[in-house]
Amino acid sequence: MTTAREGRHLPISEDQLSRLTRDLETAHRDTLPAMRANAADLAEDIRSGQGDARDRAQHPDRRRLLLGAGGLAAGLVLAACSNDGKSNSASSTKGVGAAPSSSASASASSTGQYTGDLQVVALAVALENQAVGAYQATLNAAKAGKLGTVPPAVATFVTTAMAQHADHAKAWNSVLTAAGKPAIHNVPLSNQPATLAALGKAKNYTDVAKLALQLEDQAAQTYLFATSNVKAAAGIATAASIAPVEAMHAAILHFILGQYPVPDDFLPTDKAASPALLTV
Amino acid sequence: MIGVVDIDTRLLEELSEQSQDLNSDAVRITRDALSDFTAATGPQPRHWWRRGSTMAAAAGAVGLASTRTAAAAASSTDIMALQTAASIENLAISVYQTASGLSFIKNGNKTIAEFIAKTTTQHQAHAKAFNAAVTQAGGKAQNAPDPKYAAVVKKTLPSIKNTADVVKLALTLEDVAAQTYTKNVSQVSSAQLRKLFASVAPVEAQHRATLLAVQALLAGNMANLIAIPTDVAKLPAAAGSVGFPNAFYPTTNASPISEGAVK
Repeated sequence: MTTAREGRHLPISEDQLSRLTRDLETAHRDTLPAMRANAADLAEDIRSGQGDARDRAQHPDRRRLLLGAGGLAAGLVLAACSNDGKSNSASSTKGVGAAPSSSASASASSTGQYTGDLQVVALAVALENQAVGAYQATLNAAKAGKLGTVPPAVATFVTTAMAQHADHAKAWNSVLTAAGKPAIHNVPLSNQPATLAALGKAKNYTDVAKLALQLEDQAAQTYLFATSNVKAAAGIATAASIAPVEAMHAAILHFILGQYPVPDDFLPTDKAASPALLTV
Repeated sequence: MIGVVDIDTRLLEELSEQSQDLNSDAVRITRDALSDFTAATGPQPRHWWRRGSTMAAAAGAVGLASTRTAAAAASSTDIMALQTAASIENLAISVYQTASGLSFIKNGNKTIAEFIAKTTTQHQAHAKAFNAAVTQAGGKAQNAPDPKYAAVVKKTLPSIKNTADVVKLALTLEDVAAQTYTKNVSQVSSAQLRKLFASVAPVEAQHRATLLAVQALLAGNMANLIAIPTDVAKLPAAAGSVGFPNAFYPTTNASPISEGAVK
């Protein structure tokens, strides 16, 4: 696998690199001014004690932008996630794609630390950390030669998707910490042991791509579930802004796997993760 | 033709540094805002997810008259948003159907032709769903195209000479659709409508991701790799990431809810 960290040169066309760079700069420049203005509005709004109703009517994107900008702060930091004892001790035979459907209610989690909307936020962080960890493990396995030859496009996919999932995790964690709850840096999901086991059995990039597709589908569909089950406007908007990105990851994975990239007319929720998966 | 060349990774590192500078700016501003948040709310902070329930309780005490007014306003917003969504879908259907008849599409890359055909049916399904929701809400179905982007299409169509031009136009429509629906999720009044918009936006985003990858391959004169299954080993590195340029789907170019509303 060729990466920027391993060699001094990358095979990429100048045209492609320029386009990617322009897109990145545009994304930043489009987001930052709006985020500055909206962050100031948010602080003023809170000081004046205005509630969600007015906020939602006049500034529906405000807190989503704040969260998004905070998420961008993750930048190129690609954090590997670990599995704590609690997560490891949770027994489950469920595969990552076998999560309960969206019919599962957002009831109290196993320890009751995160409840209501915050339980969905905690679930979101856990899913994002799970994805980051899976992609990091993929990079490690590839570097160790355990996956055979990894095509350059797959390597780029993994590093870029992993960075975006880290951004998402950062955004959701900022919500938890602002609520006085601890941030989640591990994967407190009962299906994590099965995920790690599947990763450990991967012999090539195709195996990894199949597993990654399950994780991306799970994340995208969980956010779709969240948009109609979370009460807070900012939570709804944030979930709505992330679901398409996870779906885009899935589209490219379909293409890599030789499958049609847009298989569904409407995003389903049959693979959405239930808050019951949380072990915190 | 622009071939594949070796780029010094120091260039990438410089670009990364610039990116991180922008990110640092975002971090600082976000921290300031969160500090303000904490300072403003004091020792017993009322966070946004808690204020929601507070406001809901307050709303319950306002009285039936104002509730009815709010419901009527929300319904009007819902109808306009659904009509605008249908208008965007109508335009997309029209563009893809027109594209499918162009000789360089009909006789060109088979996978692109199949994508156009499949995407047309998906947009038809979306239009049908949005219009069904409109009529269910008591509004009129929207069968006309979005006027703003219809003008863009009208201006662009005569200059379309090849597949790349078609892809570029399609990208514009898919992106505005995805951005509009992503924003609509926060604008409509019911969980049912939120779910509708939130279930369509990712599909439009997937169309865009596919088109971005196709565009990159066409630009790199690698149309032979636009195939299902493709030769993954021969794909350029950028093909793995060009399809999802944003960590959070933007809404800056979302259409206003009134843009395609029935007049």
